[in-house]
Amino acid sequence: MTGGDKSQSSSGKSKGDDQDSPFGIWLSRGLHQLFDDVASEPIPEELLKLIEEDRKK
Amino acid sequence: MTFHDQVIAILPKLRVQALSLTRNRAAAEDLVQDAVCNALAAQNSFIPGTNFSAWMHRILRNRFISDLRKRRETTDIDDVPASTFASPATHEDRLALKDLSLALSRLPADQREALVMVVIQGMSYEALAEATDCAVGTAKSRVFRARRQLEAWMTGDMPSNDKLRVKVKALRDAIDVRHRAGQSADDLLFS
Repeated sequence: MTGGDKSQSSSGKSKGDDQDSPFGIWLSRGLHQLFDDVASEPIPEELLKLIEEDRKK
Repeated sequence: MTFHDQVIAILPKLRVQALSLTRNRAAAEDLVQDAVCNALAAQNSFIPGTNFSAWMHRILRNRFISDLRKRRETTDIDDVPASTFASPATHEDRLALKDLSLALSRLPADQREALVMVVIQGMSYEALAEATDCAVGTAKSRVFRARRQLEAWMTGDMPSNDKLRVKVKALRDAIDVRHRAGQSADDLLFS
């Protein structure tokens, strides 16, 4: 996969950004608490089946 | 990696993007499934070697916009309750997280999406711009405005929750004191 999201040449963590400010750190932590578990939940079987069936075509 | 392997590998990121757009877990699952169906149907239009991640994120985004247009005929997405950024937060954080969730729901969807993709997925602004089909400057601006707006709401302009404002201000003051003394504030942030 040629994931374009690996590049950090102008990332949200760049110098001058406020991600490292106290609020930025707090916000980052809060967002991770809100979203991380969504990303780590198992993929529904139904969706995987859909993809695998298409693969066999 | 085959096309289908790439689809499977990117599913967790699509879920995060979908939740950032829909603010609702069930709707996010539906959106991911619909986007995957669209991608499978359009797989011949994907050029191997080009940016699959951006291509897939754009499909999901376009599907969201398309669904939104249809839905707006009967309802407004911004009226959907913000209760569904479900999160098993712990004790003291629960209130602040709830308010962050509420504040997020007040942001325009494109700003919320941009912020989440940069902060949660570690996307560069260039990748965000490609994934959301906009200029890099626009991507940066969306993230910047989202942060600024959230900070304003969470620290001073959210009269509906004065307790939270006081709590955030106290935390920021405590962190500032530690930093001025050259000390770590990690225990304040991650306790």
